[in-house]
This record gives sequence, C-alpha cells and structure tokens, in this order.
Amino acid sequence: MKVLLAALSILLAASGPLADPEEEARAQDLMREIRCVACENEPISNSGSDIAADMRERVRAMVGEGRSNEEIRTWFAERYGDFVLFRPPARGPGGWLLWSGPFLLLLAGAGLGYAVIRRRTSGRPVDPVAPEDAG
Amino acid sequence: MIEAGHFAAFLAFVFSGFQAWQGLAGKRGTSGLFAYIALGTMTFAFATLLYAFARSDFSVELVASNSHTLKPFAYKIAGTWGNHEGSMALWCLVGIGFGAAGAKLLATGRSVFEARALGVQGLLNFGALAYLLFASSPFTRLDPAPLQGAGLNPLLQDPALAIHPPMLYLGYVGYSFVFALAAAGLVEGRIDRDWAKTARLWALAAFAPLTVGIALGSYWAYYELGWGGWWFWDPVENASLMPWLIGAALMHSVIVTEKRGNFAVWTALLAVLAFCFSMLGAFLVRSGVLTSVHAFAVDPLRGSMLLAGLLVFGGAALLLFALRAGKLKTGPDWDAASREGAMMGNNLVLTVAAATVLLGTLFPLIAEAAGETISVGEPYFNLTFTPIMSLALIALPIVQAWSWGRADLASLWKWLLGFAGVVAIFWLAGVGPFDIPLLAGVGLAIGVWLLLGAGMEVWRRSKTLARLPKLPLRVWGMTLAHAGLGLFVLGAVLETTGRTHTTIALQEGESQSIAGWQVRLDDVSSIEGPNWYAERATLTARHGASETVLQPQKRFYPAASMPTTETAIHKTGIADLYVALGDGRRNQKGETRWTFEVFVNPFIDLIYLGTALIALGAGLSMGGKRSKQREKAPA
Repeated sequence: MKVLLAALSILLAASGPLADPEEEARAQDLMREIRCVACENEPISNSGSDIAADMRERVRAMVGEGRSNEEIRTWFAERYGDFVLFRPPARGPGGWLLWSGPFLLLLAGAGLGYAVIRRRTSGRPVDPVAPEDAG
Repeated sequence: MIEAGHFAAFLAFVFSGFQAWQGLAGKRGTSGLFAYIALGTMTFAFATLLYAFARSDFSVELVASNSHTLKPFAYKIAGTWGNHEGSMALWCLVGIGFGAAGAKLLATGRSVFEARALGVQGLLNFGALAYLLFASSPFTRLDPAPLQGAGLNPLLQDPALAIHPPMLYLGYVGYSFVFALAAAGLVEGRIDRDWAKTARLWALAAFAPLTVGIALGSYWAYYELGWGGWWFWDPVENASLMPWLIGAALMHSVIVTEKRGNFAVWTALLAVLAFCFSMLGAFLVRSGVLTSVHAFAVDPLRGSMLLAGLLVFGGAALLLFALRAGKLKTGPDWDAASREGAMMGNNLVLTVAAATVLLGTLFPLIAEAAGETISVGEPYFNLTFTPIMSLALIALPIVQAWSWGRADLASLWKWLLGFAGVVAIFWLAGVGPFDIPLLAGVGLAIGVWLLLGAGMEVWRRSKTLARLPKLPLRVWGMTLAHAGLGLFVLGAVLETTGRTHTTIALQEGESQSIAGWQVRLDDVSSIEGPNWYAERATLTARHGASETVLQPQKRFYPAASMPTTETAIHKTGIADLYVALGDGRRNQKGETRWTFEVFVNPFIDLIYLGTALIALGAGLSMGGKRSKQREKAPA
C-alpha cells in the first residue's frame, strides 16, 4: 500500500508544469517540436489525446532530469521513429538536401542574378531616374 | 430547380468554350459577349445552389450531405461553398466573373491582345467547368430525399471561415486572369510597359483578397482550434502561402516592367507561376495527398484530375514561355546597385521563400515514396524561411529610395548605421531592463525598422507636410503595405516569444494564478444551441483592478457527431487572455476537475492589423491617376 501511494504521489507530482519557469519554457518549446503519434499533423503541445498527454509528461520528466534537447529528441526518435520530429534530422542525402536546399537556392539565384547583370550591362554609364520621376 | 442550375452550368461551360474559340481567333467583341453570357448562366447556376441550401432541399445530394435544417441561416448559405463540389462551383463562378470583368474593363486599345486574353481565360474556365460538371457535380439529386441532412462540418460554422473561401478564391482565381494576360502577351511576344500597366492592376486585384483570405483562415485557426497559435505551418496553410509569396514577387517585378520595360521575361514567368501555385494549392488541399489539421473532403481521383489540369495548363504556358522568352524586349541598362537590382533581390528572396515552403511541404511526400516517414514542421520553417525573408525585410527601407538605373550609394553607410542602431537599442533593452532573447530583439528591430522606413519614404517623397496629401495613391498603398509588414513582424515576434501557455485543472469555486491573472472557475453548466449542445465554463479572471468573465465552451454537434472548441478571449488592449475548455475528470470523492488551456498572447492583434494594412495597401495601389505622367514621358 505504501509503495502504491508513493508511486501515485510520483505520478501526481509529474503532472502539471515544472516548477522552474525556464525548464518549463524549454519543455514547452520541445512539445511544439514533437508530433503526436495518434493525430493528424499536430504537435503534442496541442493535442488532446491521451498519448500526447503521456508524451508531454515524458518531455517534462526528461527536462526535469536535466537532459539536453538533443538527447530528448533522440529519445523520441528512437522510440517512435523520425516521424515524431517536426524538426527533421539533417541526416542522409535527403535530410541534407532539405536543410541546405533553401540556402543553396538563394546562392544559386544570387549567382544567376549576378550573371544576368554582368551580361546585360553594356558598360555605358547609366542615367539614374528617381522613383518618383519615372513615368 | 437544381436541374435548371445544372443546365445553366452546362451552358456556361459551352459559352466559355465559345469565348475561348472566339477569343483565340482574335475577335474581341464576340469573345467578350460570350464572357458576359457565361457569367449570366453561371450566376444563375450558382444561385440555384444557394437557393437549395437556403431551403434545405435535401433532394439535392450536396445539401443532404452538407446541411441541416437546424443550422443558422447564414451557415446554410455559407455551406454552399463549405464543401468540395460547392467550392469548385464558386471557383468556376469567380473565374468566369474575372473573364467578364476583363471583357468590361480591358481598354488597352489592342483588340487582338485583349481577345486572346479573354480566350485564354475562357479556356481556363472551360477546363474548370469540365471538372465541375463531369467529375465533381454539385447538381446531383438524391432519391429518395432524406428527411434530414448530415450537417456542415461544425468547424466551418464560423463567420471568419464562412467568408474565408470566397476571399481565397478571389485571390487564387484572380491569378488566372493574370495568367491569361501573360499567355496573350507571350503569344504576340509583347510583354512591355503597356502590358505591365494592365497586368499590374489585375495582379493587385488578386493579391489583396488573397491576403485577406489567408488572414481570415489564420484568425479562425487561432480562436477555433483552441491551440493558442495563429500559424502552424500546416500543409493547407502552406498551400495558400505559396501563391501569396509568388504573387508578392510578381507585384514588385511587374513594376519594373511597367516603369522601365525591364524584367519582361521574369515577370511573364511569375504571372504564369502565380496561377500554377494557386492550382497546386487547390490540388494539395483537395486531393488528400497531405495530412492536415484542416480536414476537408478528399478524393484521390479528383486529386489526379486537378493535377492533370495543373500540368496541362501550366505546361502549355511554360512551353509558350520557353518559345517566346527570347523575343521579349528589354529596357534601359541598369547597375547592380539600382532600383532594378533591389527588385531583383526582392524577387530572389520571395521566390526562394516560396520554394522553401514548397520543399518543406512536399518533402514528407517524397520521403514517403522513398520509404521513410518524416515530418517537417514549424522548427524547419523557423530556421529556413524566417532568416531568408529577414534579408529582404532588412534591405527594404534602404533600397526603396534607390533610383532606377543607378542608385546613389553615398548615404548607404548612414542607412546601415541606422539599422545597426535600431538593433543595438533592442539588444541593450534585452540585456538590460527587459528580458528579450537576442533573436527576438533582432526581430523587433526589423519590425520597427520597417515602420521607420515607411515613414521616411513618405517624407522623402513629400518633403513638406503640405504636399503629403498630394502623393499618388500608389505611393500611399506601397507605404501602408510596407508599414503593415512592419506591424506584422512586430506582432509575430512579440506573440511568438511572449506567449505563455499553462494547463490548469480547477474545481468549481477554485482559483489559480497564471501570468499575473487570478482565474476562478465559477461553474460549469450545460447549454444548448440550435444544432449543438455544450458544456460552458464560467471563469472570472482578475488582473489588478480589471475583472472579466470568460465563458469557453466545449460543443458537440450531434448531426456531424463532432466536438469543437469555442475559446473565450479577453482582449486587454496589449494581449489576449485566451482560455479553452478541456475535459472534466471526476476523482474518487466525486469532485470534478476541469482542465483549461490558458494562453496569454501579447500583441496578437498587430498580426491581423498588419495583414489588413497589406491588403488595404494593395487595394489602394490600384487607384489613382495612372497615365498622367506616362503621357509626357517618351514611350
């Protein structure tokens, strides 16, 4: 009976926000990054399902133990698969493409723009026209 | 009645075909005439649908599966487009409306060009109507008619969401006319200043309602989903953001073509792409290839037909583009540091941002095809989209004063110093009296920077107070939109970094303090509405001297057998106190504790005020005396 009560009190203690506001904020940020496994495209911070509540408790417990964000993400990914991470890992060619793609595009676009400017200008001096004077 | 509507829609289909045929043959008069007739018949067809919904005529299958006699009248009407078939009928009506508006308003003095534009628009409408009539008909009868309907998805029974689809479609389908203008211009190899003057107005006419539509959808998600946020980077949201970003790029690029005759190739491409992204959006939302929190009726067959439409129309236009791009003329030379160069930077950032949204949205699909399940969500976009867009926002106030052709860079260092100063102020405030994280400080600095920039641009152009009212309407439009962007950035940064979220459980009579508010649960009672029943909590929240009563509900709609959240929001002027009611749990002693999700969302109204200003600015930019200076200038 005593053991049961002790277990119960731990359970109760685990529910609800963490005492330290900074830890709680870190836990909430993580909850917005982890996907509920039973719902359509919802992070566990929003979902009303029981499993999401369990997952939230797990996040809080691990934050309370002082585990790093990366450790917590890895723990969830190992248990439920990469699917649960709204911040997909930059692993493999796909992950690399996903994360670097936007910046590579920006660089490529800037390079293309530069080439267009170089090719287009004849070298003659240009007459500037103020925006308010352009017809 | 509905049969008459069905027949009228069929007539609209035929007349759109005639419009396309006459238009592509270069006959402006007859093509325009058919556009008017098509609008008349399609309006009638749509009216029969509205009528069937208004009367709850359950012998019409669409009404039976999407309406209910007990539904409030406004939502019966809104139910017409709150479903797949009806929304496609609205799409057709708007497309035909734009065709008829084009027939009425186009006055370029070049009748063959106008005829071709009307012809292409007719062709697009013809395709949309073919899809409506043969793949997704809203005019089907049900025999025997059921006594009661299945009800509209309760999430959609909401004022913001009732007008969200028409606004969104005015934007999406508005770009179809820009597409038609681009196709007509490309056919004759003439994307010039005159073309751009016309196309710019239509691009703005699509951009303004698209902005309003997206904002309404976001606002709805904010108060209806009960999650306390306003943008979730959900695929359906992303689907509407992509055409908006391309539309924003087009809106700037077309100015370069209008004022200088430059960027013709690029502007034509964007004009084609804006509508392609609109169709892509419709495809993503309607086909069900992506999982989304915005659950809509989905059907893979229809999805593949929409995709086919996108590929045929988009492919044909891009082919035409490839054939003609080399023939388009360019305007005077320009240096890299010039207004043209600045617009190129703007377009680079906006298109890369759209591509980023596309990549993040489609990546899970691609990964799935490769046998992996991956999620891409908010953290990804925060680390890619946001920094890329920030580049353009930082540059905006600096480069908007730059001249065409060549900018005067003498004062560039002052501008850069100015921006550094604004960042420094927020950084010092962040480490000093206020607790602002560094990145949020940069975000706030960008917001203030944009507002300052808008003010300085107006001042630079007017120089004296007396001349302020005489500024052209489009300068005011631009300034308002850029100031709106600044307000939006401020709101977004303040809300995202300052938001607090607490889950509390209360018994009746209990209270708890959250973020300075003392919240007491007075009681929870059962109430009933016309087509729902609900548990309604009454909470009293106190903060200093101010006191407010909040009544969040958990509703249940029996017809759809679906629960919804009705949040209670108290606006303090600087923040929203936002409460959503969760489940009630009874303990062993028989006491019931109710859970509440309580959010404090600071300055969220700035987000909507900002987007409203962007839309208003786009609308204002359409007005004013357009050709006054143009006549004096050499062609």
